[in-house]
Amino acid sequence: MTTKAEFLERIRDQMRTTPGLFPASAARRPEHPAAEAETIRRELVERWPETLKTFRLEFERVGGVFHRVASLDAVPAVVGLLAHEREARELVTWHSAALGADLSQALEACGLAVHQMPAGEVVGTERERLRAIAARADLGLTGVDLAIAETGTLVLVSGAGRPRSTSLLPACHIAVFDRTALVESLRQVGVILEAWHEAGAPATGAAINFITGPSRTADIELTLTRGVHGPKEVHAIFVEQDIRG
Amino acid sequence: MSDDVLAVPFRQRAGSAMKDAFLQEALTIATTKFIGLRREAFEDFPEGETLRNRARAIKEATLQRLDHHLETLIGNVERLGGHVHYAATSEEARSIIVDIARRTGARMAVKSKSMATEEIHLNEALERAGITPVETDLGEYIIQLAHERPSHIIAPAIHKTKAQVAALFGRELKRPVEADPEVLTRIARGELREKFLQADLGITGANFAVADTGTVVLVTNEGNGRMVTSLPRVHVAVMGVEKVVPSLTDLMVFLAILAKSATGQKLSVYTSLVGGPRRPGELEGPEEFHLVLLDGGRIAQLGGPLREALSCLRCGACLNVCPVYRQIGGHAYGHTYPGPIGILLTAMLEGAPAVKDLAHASTLCGACAEACPVRIDIPRMLIELRREVDDTKIAPWAERVAFKLLARLLRHPGLYRLAARAGRVLQRPFATEGTVSRLPFFFDEWTRTRDLPAVAARTFQERWASEKDLRP
Repeated sequence: MTTKAEFLERIRDQMRTTPGLFPASAARRPEHPAAEAETIRRELVERWPETLKTFRLEFERVGGVFHRVASLDAVPAVVGLLAHEREARELVTWHSAALGADLSQALEACGLAVHQMPAGEVVGTERERLRAIAARADLGLTGVDLAIAETGTLVLVSGAGRPRSTSLLPACHIAVFDRTALVESLRQVGVILEAWHEAGAPATGAAINFITGPSRTADIELTLTRGVHGPKEVHAIFVEQDIRG
Repeated sequence: MSDDVLAVPFRQRAGSAMKDAFLQEALTIATTKFIGLRREAFEDFPEGETLRNRARAIKEATLQRLDHHLETLIGNVERLGGHVHYAATSEEARSIIVDIARRTGARMAVKSKSMATEEIHLNEALERAGITPVETDLGEYIIQLAHERPSHIIAPAIHKTKAQVAALFGRELKRPVEADPEVLTRIARGELREKFLQADLGITGANFAVADTGTVVLVTNEGNGRMVTSLPRVHVAVMGVEKVVPSLTDLMVFLAILAKSATGQKLSVYTSLVGGPRRPGELEGPEEFHLVLLDGGRIAQLGGPLREALSCLRCGACLNVCPVYRQIGGHAYGHTYPGPIGILLTAMLEGAPAVKDLAHASTLCGACAEACPVRIDIPRMLIELRREVDDTKIAPWAERVAFKLLARLLRHPGLYRLAARAGRVLQRPFATEGTVSRLPFFFDEWTRTRDLPAVAARTFQERWASEKDLRP
């Protein structure tokens, strides 16, 4: 088997033969990402209505469904209606700490069986049991860490109480966000990702997922079809009042 | 690709593709659609041109310090609890992965679409080791059922009709299946959902790997990339060494142009940044994460003539615009990577002799270089490859002799004039209305697919000489 030393030496041998094709440097990394990310957020406070408008346009263009409510209290009614229309019975949700509020009771009042995912480490067969629940649930309710206006994208960081499967296994994904999640561009996302890397992300999981609309394929005769593996539907509920007060 | 495919000469493979009426129609529709979508995406994105230049500069800068960036990547993957493996050859890569599968007791492996695992022929090796590989990208799943290979980098099954797909699914499920893309997709969702939940091993490629953070980046539309990296207890990512990018800032430059070039989307549906095994408190994600760094001929090109091809993002844009690909499709190329970039990658991975015919399967029109998001000068390298193919005397002897003679003629004006006069006499039986459409003997190789202009009744030199009194 090739060792790390042999492998890298082979690369260095080759690098010695050429200085490269032209002088080039990688993209300039922000020098103080956390501070720059903070500046971006401050600037966006002024512009959020336009940012939200662009987000909605792009999100709908990729097949997402946009909702807008005044406060978190109004979210269960929207979810309840979606459940009713789809004859959905079971819902999995991120833990209330990750979501920003405990909506379980209100959702149960809409006739849903609500499974809140745990915020702490699980042991033994509990992991399999929870996965089976996520796999059979009709609806998945999550928060959002970034909503990118340029592309209509939702960014979700995994972690304790924020399973990856909630936005993946159910046929219908419902994401709740407020204006603090809004950003304008992929460039800004770059700065924020660098800031998360430097100063800590919203959660400590190993996966950051960018979700741009429902799962899709065009692999059979280029016919666009939704929901091949991931959700067939993605709903984004914008909450006017800041979720975390 | 299997040897029986390569046993048929390229010219014959291309010829059969051109006689396949369905393939011709499918290719035209698919490539035309992709070209339009890509054009619209960049028209709406004025900063696209600048970002393409920056993306190329990042690739070049990364290659200039590749050892450093790989060491950073390796360090960070290990810091996150992942394991890094080094494969000089496809064979080594296969045995590393089979060993991981055996050690972890894996019975079934779910795979998201990965050209790198196609390149190393991983599925056959897994099968031989008693591990069932399941391709989960819908297009790849279809061609796996059909025991074929992908015919397009991003749309692997564009050569299949929905009726053919329905027949394949019907055979698998042992019941009749309706030939409707919606129905077929639903069936695949059900079938593959079971596999995702059962599989022990998830195998992916990597669109990028970020050195700074030790993150592997996967871009998919279907969500299979997320399934494969979240549900099985072991995740193995296989990547060519050139896929490393220095930072998250660099990554965003590539994400901004990759999907636009491939499918015209602003972003693909799912972009997953995965950093090692699952962390404390996480419900999902693998217990073990392995990164296999693959050489396979890439490293030798750092200082070689195909260096530029190491910047390729595998978006497929050059396939769609290539007049040759649009006529013959991916299978006729006969190797893992089709299209203009595929010829260069095949030469890189298998050596120049493997492309002695393919090096000529290009009109050198330059459409590929223009479509390439990182502006790889594919035609320049194809010309160099042709020269190399000739230098190493792997071109047919008749071709070499013919070109040597032509070179001598062109260097000697006296000989050239003599040859023109001789040609005028000799062409008489074959020339009609100023063109020669069929030459005798083995020269018919030349005229089989094109006409040759006949030698004029009076050559330019003769006219120049006789009309010199008329000139001012």
